[in-house]
Parts: sequence; C-alpha cells; structure tokens
Amino acid sequence: MDTLVNVAHGFGVALLPVNLLYCFIGVFIGTLVGVLPGIGPISAMSLLLPVTLSGTPESGIIMMAGIYYGSMYGGSTTSILVNIPGEAASVVTCIDGHQMAKQGRAGPALGISAFGSFVAGTFALVALMLVAPKLASIAIAFGPAEYFSLMVLGLVVLTFLTQGSMPKALLMACIGVVLGLIGLDSITAQPRLTFGRMELIDGVGLVPVVMGLFGIAEVLLNTEQAIKRDIINTKITRLLPNKEDWKVSAGPVGRGTILGFFLGILPGGGAVVASFASYALEKRLSKTPERFGHGAIEGVAGPESANNAAAGGAFIPLMTLGIPPNVVMALLLGAFVIHGLQPGPLLITQNPGLFWGIVASMYIGNVMLLILNLPMIGMWVQLLKLPYNILFPLIILFTILGVYCSSNNVFDVYVMIAFGIIGYFMRKLGYEPAPLVLAFVLGPMMENNLRKSLILSQGDLWTFVQRPISGACLVLALVLLIAPLLPSLRKKRELVALDEGA
Amino acid sequence: MNDPTNVKLRLSNSELWGGLIGLALGGFVIWSGLRLKLGTINDPGSGYVLFYTGILMCVFAAAIVVSAITEGGPTLAARWENVRWSKPLLLIACLTAFSFALEPLGFLLSSIPVMLLLLRLIDPVRWALAIPIAVLVPSGMWWVLKRLLLIQLPSGLFGIG
Repeated sequence: MDTLVNVAHGFGVALLPVNLLYCFIGVFIGTLVGVLPGIGPISAMSLLLPVTLSGTPESGIIMMAGIYYGSMYGGSTTSILVNIPGEAASVVTCIDGHQMAKQGRAGPALGISAFGSFVAGTFALVALMLVAPKLASIAIAFGPAEYFSLMVLGLVVLTFLTQGSMPKALLMACIGVVLGLIGLDSITAQPRLTFGRMELIDGVGLVPVVMGLFGIAEVLLNTEQAIKRDIINTKITRLLPNKEDWKVSAGPVGRGTILGFFLGILPGGGAVVASFASYALEKRLSKTPERFGHGAIEGVAGPESANNAAAGGAFIPLMTLGIPPNVVMALLLGAFVIHGLQPGPLLITQNPGLFWGIVASMYIGNVMLLILNLPMIGMWVQLLKLPYNILFPLIILFTILGVYCSSNNVFDVYVMIAFGIIGYFMRKLGYEPAPLVLAFVLGPMMENNLRKSLILSQGDLWTFVQRPISGACLVLALVLLIAPLLPSLRKKRELVALDEGA
Repeated sequence: MNDPTNVKLRLSNSELWGGLIGLALGGFVIWSGLRLKLGTINDPGSGYVLFYTGILMCVFAAAIVVSAITEGGPTLAARWENVRWSKPLLLIACLTAFSFALEPLGFLLSSIPVMLLLLRLIDPVRWALAIPIAVLVPSGMWWVLKRLLLIQLPSGLFGIG
C-alpha cells in the first residue's frame, strides 16, 4: 500500500509540465545519441551534465536518466539498419538484427526490439520500486568498511570487464583514484597535488575530465577513419512482429529481462554485459542455434530486453547505497552531487519526491520511447544520413561551451582539452578510460571510508575481513583479480570484455 | 613468425612506453604521498592513500613493462597504421591553438576561426556551407548564452563577446 502511495506521489512529481519536458528532452537525446554511431550515452551525459544546473534536481536527473535508457532503445536502430552499433550495448543486436534487415524484415526487428525494450524497462522499474526501499533499509546498517569494500569490488569488476589487459585497466583505476584526490584533504584540509594552482584547490571537475576523455577523445578517434555507412534503403513498412515472431520472442524477452536486471545491479556490470550474456543464453537454449547469426529474431529480442532491464537495475546500487555500478551511473552521481544531494540509504526517506519522481518519470519515458522509436522510425533513419564532417566540429564547440558554462572558468576548458588529448593517446595505446572515470568518482569516497574505518577500528585491518559483507566483497574482488591468470577464465573474460566508451 | 609490427625490447615498443610512463607516474604519486605525510595506521594522514595507490600503480605498470618485454607489443608506428593520423593531429593542433587564444581573443574571435578550420580539416565541407556554419553557430550560441541565459563568456583583450 505504501508503495502505491509513493508511486502516486512520484507521478505527481513526474507529471509536472517542466519534468515532462525534461523527460522528453532526455529520452529524445538518448534516442538521438543511441542512433548516431560514435556518440554514446556517456559522451552525451557528460556533455549535458552542465545543463542539469539550470533546473531543479528532479528535472536534471530525470533528463540524465532519460538519456541513459533512451540510448538503449536508439542503439538498436543503427545496429539493425546500418550494422554499426549506436552504442556498446547494441553490438550484439547487429549480428541478427542486420541480417533480418537484409532479408527484408527490418520492421519486425525494430518492432521486437522496441517492444522487448519496453517490457524489460517496465519490469526493471517495478523491481526497482520493490527492491530499492528494502535494500536501502538494510544499507543503513552499512559501516565505512562495507562501503569501502563494495567500492573496491565495483572497481575490480569494472576492470575485469574492461577490454584489453587487466594491469592496464587497474593502472587506469589507480590514476582515477589519484585524480579524485586532487584538492583539499576533506579531513586535514591540506592541499594535495595542486601545484600551487588555486583552480585545483576544489579538485579537478568531473565534467571537464569526462567530456575530455569521452567527448573530445571520441571525436579525435572517429576522425581517423572515414565512417562508411551501409544503410538499408528499403522502406520500412510493417513494424509489428507477426504471431510466429511473438511466439519465439516471448521466452527470450522474459529471460533477457530477468538476466539483465540482475546483471545491471552488480557493481561493474551493466547493459553491455547483459546483452552479451542474453545472446549467449538464447543461443545455448535454442533448438536451432545454427539460425543465430543469420537473422534469428531471438538474437534481437533477448539482448535488447536485457540491456534495457540492466539500465533499470543499475539504478539500485546508486539510489540505495550511493555507489555507482558503472560509469553512466557515476555521471548520474555527479548530477546528484552538483545539486548538493547524496544518493544512499537515506535518499528515499529524506527525498521521497526525488526518488519516486525519477522512478515514475521512467515509466513515462518508456512510453515516450515506444512512440519515438516506432511511429517515428523514419525520422531516425533520415538522421543517420547526417554528415559527420559537420557533426564533429559542432560536438567540439558544444563540449567547450558545456564545460565553460558548468563552472564559468576557462581553466576547465584547458583541463578538458588536455584530457581529450590524453584520452586519445590512452585509447590508441589500449588503455580504456572507463575504470579511470569510475575510480575518479569513487576515489574520494573510498579514501574517506578507508580512513574512517581505520580510525574506528584503531588500525585493525581485520575489520575489513571480519565483517561479513565487507569480507565477501573483498574475497570476490580477489577472485576476480586472480582469475585472469587462469587461461580458461582469461578466455571467458575476453569474451565478455566491453568497450564502455562506445 | 617475425612480425615487424610486434617487437620486444625495443624503444619502438608502445607497450613498453605505456608501462614506463605508468612507472614514472606511480613514482611521482609515492613521492607526493610521502611529502604529504603518511600518518599512522590508527590515524592515516593526507598522503596515506596516495602513497599506497602509488605503490599499486608501480606494481601494475611493472607488470605492463614485464609483459611488454616478454611477450612483445605493437610498435608505436603500428598503432597509427592504416588510419588518417594527420586528422587527429590537426585537430589537436587546433584545440591547442584555441586554448591559447581563448582568453586573449575572447570566445567569438577564437571559436569562429577554429570552427572554420575544423569544418575544412576533418573532411572538407565546401566553403559556401562551412563559412555560414562557422560564423552562425558560435554567434548563435554566444547570443543564447549571453543574452538569454546571462552567462558571461570570455570577451578577450578587444572586449568582443
């Protein structure tokens, strides 16, 4: 009953005209960046982070969340029609989705992708509503040791799942921690690594770092190659899948939804892992696995449902524990912090309007996305023809303005350009920026919790192992750190490794 | 067997350079941690986490260096093979020039030429389209930010913008 009252309260917030507008802007931009290859939700959210400053916390966060789950919808369009994934979570959709399009079944592929996404997105929201308050009430009992160990686990999982060598990903995570510690020490107020620059006293801003690493670096990488597009030119007529399509897709949608939701909750996991796992599961369960790769609708339905369910599930650790499970959620945490809010166990009780408003807006956003992605599919196809030689300079200009407007400080523009150049060379040398960004956000929190738990335990390091949740997290992190040394597990890691930047 | 793009103990080994840069950074972080004082385990100081993170950085960077020497790695040239490397280089040059010009020249005088350069350098947009975009988009953004949102953009020595 309480939940229903809260949901009603949430809809009261989400249905305010300004919030509806922000929700629409969010899902529209999300679909747009999902459709456009080369710009992922991370780049878009980092570009728009400064915009959240102009409105209320609800509006800003509703918009940011909309970009994330909106991009999951939009990403499938390019995968199916162009064979280029709009964002990383839609890589798997290319395999069977584009084959279906080539066989003249682009409509049902787009249709099942949108309907599957809608079902999964809605399920994830219901689960979020039911699970989040319960988990938050448990999380109140968490001490600094648990928080520290959970963050360590989150970082290790992300480095485990990052493409390329694990030492490189771990090195990136350490650099992220160091960058996060620049500025005044929160306990002793001693300046650290500021090199005498007043601009660094408050630390390096999240916005210029992320915009540089994901926005500018992405453009630099994309200019290396002329982007070729093989757009399916036939008119997309019938979007509704037929009876047979529904029959074979029902199972994959259901399984993908549940699998995706749980993988989304895990720290370091997320939509990309979920879509790969769902594809592998469907192929394994299928009586005719040889159809996969040749236009099997299950290969579209499962992963597309899984990545949307994961996008919903990823909100749980952020909202209940204050720990972002992936880089996208780290950006969302940034949006919360910009507004002086701290997500965590007390958020739901202290800011019910905000929490339930965001949840309710996601319902509305999912309906908006269904409308945006089905009847308006022709518009997105036209957008795929937008020339990149005009788009890239515009992105650079917007990033510069976005960074400047977030702080009114030219120094941040320099920081962004520097991180853009560093990010480009990092990517060229095989160093992924995702662990760096997550560690950059988690670094100060990790340090704070580590120091607090050491002070509370009077320097007893066993406190991290003796407390069950903390101990379990550290053991799991250790297993993941050792795992790549075993050849069979190394192979598995390479199979599920993800490119967060895409 | 002898792949010229994959080398072991050579200065052109890109993996080796990545590891060495990591080692240098790790060393610097350890030194910074020590300078800030470690404190004790009961009461960790400002440099405590930095120091241990620096040690971890050195460990991971050393692992990269060892792997680069034992397993080899692609040469620096191989990383930029078969790509239009001049395009990002030109873009970096433009961005660097822009960062130097932004404060003295102001937003409008620095962003219009940079936009024009970018439009002509990446995949040349014809002049008839590039010039209006380069002039109208920054001017439009400037107008929206300055007049509608009242955000002060750098106006430079000439006070334009």
